[in-house]
Amino acid sequence: MKILAIDTSADETAAAVIEGRRIISNVIYSQIQIHKEWGGIYPTLAKRAHEERIEGVVERALKRIKNYELRIKNEDGLMDKIDAIAVTQGPGLAIALEVGIRKAKEFAVKYQKPLIAVNHLEGHLYSCFAQNSNSQPSNEIKFPYLGLIISGGHTQIVLIKEHLKYQTVGETLDDAAGEALDKAAKLLRLGYPGGPVIERLAQEVGQIDKYHFPRPMLQSKNLDFSFSGLKTSFYYYVRELPEKEKIKSIKYLVSSFQEAVFDVIVKKTESAIKQTGVSNVIVGGGVCANLYLRKLLRKMVKKNKGTIVFPPFEYLTGDNAAMIGIVAGYKAQANQFVKNIDQLDRVTRMSL
Amino acid sequence: MRTLELTQKNHRSIINETCKVLSSGGLVVFPSDTVYGLLADATNKEAVDRLIAVKERPFGKAISVFIDSWEMLGKQVEVSVSQKKILKEILPGAFTVILPSKHQTDIRLESEHKTLGIRLIKHSLVNQLIKAYGKPLTATSANLSGKKPHYQLSTFQKELSAKKIKLIDLAIDAGKLPQNKPSTVIDLTKATIEILRQGDKSMDDIYISKNENATKKIAQLIFNQNITKTGNKPLVFILSGELGAGKTIFIKGIGEGLGINNIISPTYTIAYEYPLKNKCFDKLLHFDLYQIDSKQDLQRVGIEEALKTKNVLLFEWGEKVGNLIKLINKRAYIVYINIEYVTEGSRKLRVSYNHENSGD
Repeated sequence: MKILAIDTSADETAAAVIEGRRIISNVIYSQIQIHKEWGGIYPTLAKRAHEERIEGVVERALKRIKNYELRIKNEDGLMDKIDAIAVTQGPGLAIALEVGIRKAKEFAVKYQKPLIAVNHLEGHLYSCFAQNSNSQPSNEIKFPYLGLIISGGHTQIVLIKEHLKYQTVGETLDDAAGEALDKAAKLLRLGYPGGPVIERLAQEVGQIDKYHFPRPMLQSKNLDFSFSGLKTSFYYYVRELPEKEKIKSIKYLVSSFQEAVFDVIVKKTESAIKQTGVSNVIVGGGVCANLYLRKLLRKMVKKNKGTIVFPPFEYLTGDNAAMIGIVAGYKAQANQFVKNIDQLDRVTRMSL
Repeated sequence: MRTLELTQKNHRSIINETCKVLSSGGLVVFPSDTVYGLLADATNKEAVDRLIAVKERPFGKAISVFIDSWEMLGKQVEVSVSQKKILKEILPGAFTVILPSKHQTDIRLESEHKTLGIRLIKHSLVNQLIKAYGKPLTATSANLSGKKPHYQLSTFQKELSAKKIKLIDLAIDAGKLPQNKPSTVIDLTKATIEILRQGDKSMDDIYISKNENATKKIAQLIFNQNITKTGNKPLVFILSGELGAGKTIFIKGIGEGLGINNIISPTYTIAYEYPLKNKCFDKLLHFDLYQIDSKQDLQRVGIEEALKTKNVLLFEWGEKVGNLIKLINKRAYIVYINIEYVTEGSRKLRVSYNHENSGD
């Protein structure tokens, strides 16, 4: 079953074609290059310009089916190869989500395909199950899993006992982990996004924790996160530092901040393993692109005799539509189609 | 494409040969601190033409340039004294720093926002070369659009068509480079949207909060004071205050007063909506403009669409609404909140209703 998936929940305009767990094509606007086939429209750097991009992105995702199925010659017939349409319903920015949903509805009606609504957060979890078009990597899916979502907008631990059944066991009460890292970097005038810059600078000083910033919520028994207090404490610490010392210590400051954030993520995940008894972990979201965090999590999971899976390809850590299509495949198997296409509406603060 | 092998002893002749090719507008594949790079004279139009022909120009990113010194950096981009201090801590290194261009290089290397990516690296051969050549060189990786960068010359050559190989004049083979990750990008360009200024403060209400719970209570109090004053217009709160002042806490307070207990920071998403079961209001919209840095971005977050009767709009980093304030002021009832840090736990909250930027 081939699914055309669309995600427009935040900055990225993304479309993909998925068959089972296999990614046949995956198009993310900011990662594509100028090609003649774009139609000579000069691209704009404006964020969230989904309306101007969606047409071209979907078209490109479809065209790439040709590389997968060489028999297809006629581009007009590409939609015949698609069995269902999937779209992100939330969480995200209303005006952005609406663009993807409108497009998905239009295609579903025009080509008479069933429609599947997907939660963006499910997508981040299922990104761990993705395979390339040659079915690699070939790891089996074995429930139950403990799912960890760590991104710019979300920080959440979810117990997944079977496909599409989620139980949130812990989540952030304020800021997300990625947001905290970005804000710390911006505060030190290291630009945006902050995560990769902090990763690199922290690596240069061996991830040393010189300042011991507070680890929020680590004392509490529950599995919720809070990064707002850490952010505030970092802000006021940095503000009081003499300019000269602040600049001299920049690598140590970001390294210590990263340590505090990661320490909380690793320890909360460990507590979740202990409380649920589930030690097989899947991790999704932009922050898990950080290789040092992966190392810390691997070490902790090994200690707890579990396994851990990260998204197999780097482009799957950020926002993308491939992960939406993978979830949709399982939803189709479970017959979870949108019943009334007209009534499908975005849910900006959608939870699992 | 001619290939020269780099040895311990031939650095000087390699540099001389490379300079010759560059000065005639040619392209050179050259080892760098990360991957093999495709070098061209960044100030030479024909050289940049050829570079673009070989490597389809990526959009959303400028093609960055190698420089060899702080002096050359200052000639290429605008850099403030404070930015320079930070850069001195992290450069030379595996970073690409984006700053406003002084347009000394070919403008096609710049982004749409007229910024230029600068690379000052720890690599003596590259630095010697730029020093000898005296001009910035393009620092794009030697690979085709969308393909992975190369750590070996041979794998890059395999990727190229015969036509493209002809466009490259020289390749310096330094064998297999260590698998260092490509550089990390740091964007230091400033926001281009107007920031609202504070108006006359003499008429404002002041509250002092001793802790988060008190901030929430004050928020509910101020909210309730204004419910009946909106005259059927949407109710808008514009919050300003430094990072960590407690803007999200204030909004969580309003939310809790209305029965919403799961408000989180919308920094990344920009806005979240919460349906309300309330006589006066249908919907609470929580905006966070922290990440908004251009007028175009501001047009795409759905503020105008949200200005409907029975909606409550709460803005963090509300000072960034810039010129949109005129529209909001026309269609909505606005309460301004400024939160100031006093000590670790306590905050000063200033409430105002009139603003110098309000009214048409």
